[in-house]
Amino acid sequence: MRRVGLLIVTTCLLFAIALGGHAEGVDSSDSSEYLIKAGFIYNFAKLVEWPTTAFAQPDSPIVIGILGNDPFGATLDRIVADKKIDGRGFAVKRVKWSKDLRELKDCNILFVSSSEKEHVDSVVDGMKGLPILTIGDAPGFAKRGGIINFTLEDNKVRFEVNVEAAKHADLSISSRLLTLAKIVQQVAADGRKSE
Amino acid sequence: MKHRTGRNQLKHAVERCRELGRVGQWKSRAEMAVCPPERKGYTLSGRSQSMDSMTPLRRLCLLSVLGVFLTVTTSAQNQPKIPDVTAITLEDLMNLQVTSVSKRAQKLADAAAAIFVITQDDIRRSGASSIPEALRMAPGLEVARIDQNKWAIGSRGFNGRFDNKLLVLIDGRSVYTPLFSGVYWNVQDVMLEDVDRIEVIRGPGATLWGANAVNGVINIITKSAKLTQGAVATAGVGTDERTAEAARYGGKIGDNVYYRAYTKYSDWEPTVAATGMNASDGWHALRGGFRVDSTPTRADSLTVQGDLYRTVYGETLTVPTLSAPYSSTFPNSGNYTGGNVLGHWNHAFARSSTSLQMYYDDTNTVDNSLFTDHEGVFDLDFQHDLHVGESQEFVWGLGFRSIQDSNGSSFTVSLRPNHSSLNQYSGFLQDEVSLFDKRLRVTFGSKFEHNKFTGFEVEPNVRFVGILSKNQSVWAAISRAVRTPALTEEGLQLNEAVIPAGIPPFNSPLPLTVSILGSSQFKSENLLAYEVGYRVQATSTFSADIATFYNSYANLRSAEPGTPFVEGNPTPTNVVLPFVASNKMSGGTYGAELFADWRVVPKWRLLGSYSYLQMNIQKNKDSLDPTPDNPDGASPRHQWYLRSSLDLPKHLEQDLTLRYVDQLASLNIPSYYSLDAHINWRPVTSLEFSFGGQNLLNHQHMEFIPEFINTTPTLVGRTFRGSITWRFE
Repeated sequence: MRRVGLLIVTTCLLFAIALGGHAEGVDSSDSSEYLIKAGFIYNFAKLVEWPTTAFAQPDSPIVIGILGNDPFGATLDRIVADKKIDGRGFAVKRVKWSKDLRELKDCNILFVSSSEKEHVDSVVDGMKGLPILTIGDAPGFAKRGGIINFTLEDNKVRFEVNVEAAKHADLSISSRLLTLAKIVQQVAADGRKSE
Repeated sequence: MKHRTGRNQLKHAVERCRELGRVGQWKSRAEMAVCPPERKGYTLSGRSQSMDSMTPLRRLCLLSVLGVFLTVTTSAQNQPKIPDVTAITLEDLMNLQVTSVSKRAQKLADAAAAIFVITQDDIRRSGASSIPEALRMAPGLEVARIDQNKWAIGSRGFNGRFDNKLLVLIDGRSVYTPLFSGVYWNVQDVMLEDVDRIEVIRGPGATLWGANAVNGVINIITKSAKLTQGAVATAGVGTDERTAEAARYGGKIGDNVYYRAYTKYSDWEPTVAATGMNASDGWHALRGGFRVDSTPTRADSLTVQGDLYRTVYGETLTVPTLSAPYSSTFPNSGNYTGGNVLGHWNHAFARSSTSLQMYYDDTNTVDNSLFTDHEGVFDLDFQHDLHVGESQEFVWGLGFRSIQDSNGSSFTVSLRPNHSSLNQYSGFLQDEVSLFDKRLRVTFGSKFEHNKFTGFEVEPNVRFVGILSKNQSVWAAISRAVRTPALTEEGLQLNEAVIPAGIPPFNSPLPLTVSILGSSQFKSENLLAYEVGYRVQATSTFSADIATFYNSYANLRSAEPGTPFVEGNPTPTNVVLPFVASNKMSGGTYGAELFADWRVVPKWRLLGSYSYLQMNIQKNKDSLDPTPDNPDGASPRHQWYLRSSLDLPKHLEQDLTLRYVDQLASLNIPSYYSLDAHINWRPVTSLEFSFGGQNLLNHQHMEFIPEFINTTPTLVGRTFRGSITWRFE
């Protein structure tokens, strides 16, 4: 019996080695990642409550700003094109980084592209106290004071939420969203203290 | 970004392959819609974790939506359409894999089997505190509690405490005991918080899972250690549960080794028999275990996990005796101790993957009045999945299992020989071909097995999935499955009753012992199953799934009268009237299972299920089995449930389930309704309070009467339970 087991193991190993010789790299293109992330952003819009002061009128659109290189292409625009949440439509705009953050401040949701790594701190500082749902595309964004950031785990999209930052922005995040999120605390680093 | 995604895909592929056993093979078919061809090999191996917390139906619907849109994408390049991801809930989005859109479009699929997935969320929201309780959520499954620590769980008929047609696996490890062909439900437990999903497949799965996957397969799949980092502690108490505590801690060593360890203890109050007497069926169970997951290279993943447990149970037992009053009823007790260790290695290639799994499972049973048994199972499995060309997937595998059993007997139960050693060899291959622009997918293959009792067994199947439109699909399957003999069916002597000397019509000078005997002539039971199913996503918020089947059984077990013989040991000398295990029953069963899911508003979901079962199993003409023809009585003809899942403000979740189970005619058990209510409150993310009531309508009802071993069944009463769960990062 032992021998049979051994035989099987050996066969398997040989097979694995034989195949190993032909292993190639796995490549991917046209990832659906941003399609899925667009779906997330829409869901965030549904599950986050802005203070009334955040909108000029009851039917003002929810403005989604994309800061930096736009990974969505036309996806996000099309997805939210005819959607309404509590009577509000959507508007998507692209924003290039500039020192004065005026353009960013009209947004209700601000997606910070991974191209803007070095500006994260300035954006977070600039948006402080404003009812803007900042969403980063890379891990660490929420820890640095952003409200939400995406992560990829096991090839699935996950997200982290900085509850404190949301509170400061006067945004109330539904428990359903928080249940699914990984909650992170602000990291005190280089004098940027968590409160 | 793209590069990272590619790496992640590979990593994920590896990860998925690490999921143990051939779990989710069909589920993974569904998933192919979101998998690039490179990974289909892994997908075939079915260790997928993706979309893990969705019901198959929702997943399928979701996939149909995505898949069809994506198909459109490829066919009309210049004006690509985008799937409406806004119709997908956040929970479902969490489970979508980040994969290649264009490649994904090449596969549009769903499962050619009646599959249902109980998600982690379902378990949490239902307040289920054991696996049998969680299984009540699976449409069509028959779950009946016999007493506080025993269950009869079956699929598509033939339910019983020793139901032998349902295969159950925990992380790829079979917990179907070769001793009596069934499951010790009171030792099958895991940390419920760490369960990823429970996949319930109704119908045969023998081609992939092998013998005994006749009427269904249950795969209990826990999360990888990577997904259970941090600490969780939970403590609960209830009117039927004295205490229930569990704790888990998960951590990380270096860059790619994750681990977790858990321990769990629960202690249950005894319940009452129909007579109102305390049935002494209280029990307690202590268990602990660990799991380590690592990815030493991009293409390799390893899992090692193990558990240790001890369960001490009580019951009220009735056994025959050779002296007056010839039967004795008393509180009995016993315990199970055991452990298991499992290793799984997966290696991913560009267009294929291999996996190797090995486990050892040790079960010690000590019943203080009936039986002792020590069972060791060593199992080794190899599987290779390859993607051939554009439209074919091929998978083959080899398996070896060695079973060592040694046992001790009583007057009531004895097994010969006292030591046995069984070796089983198996191999399987399966090919899947996509035709007509992927609108039709055909899967065919077979398992080949050899066991000591019945020699070679062949279990082929062929399955079809047709995509009717972007939101509808049909599937059909024809499969053969066998249920191989258990040790008890070969060498058991189970004394059911003693008839005193001199009682008419026998007027025997010696006491008569009525016994059930095993036989070396006992053959495998076999099944030829025909299944057809249909799935539809009617709107973005409503979907439905129907599965129908006709099962044709041959060589089912009967008990044929044998030649009486005199037995001098034990004293007094008695005459044994044997009923010998034989294969003289056959017949057909048919039925349908319906499941519907309606998200009425985003925060309110209604789920409903109805199942129908008709059995027509009869003794063959040459059978002399004295039991009346009515084996269908042990399974309900109609079952339904309606579940409401509501998200309330203030972090409250509320679930209500109304269940109906039809009468069990032959057991004289009336139909019953049961209303369960459960509420979860999560004031802060690290703290969760849960409170629930079971069987709120009905003060008490009986659910089952066990066969063979005469333990006293008890009443299921109204119970309340509450618990607190803390989570720390």
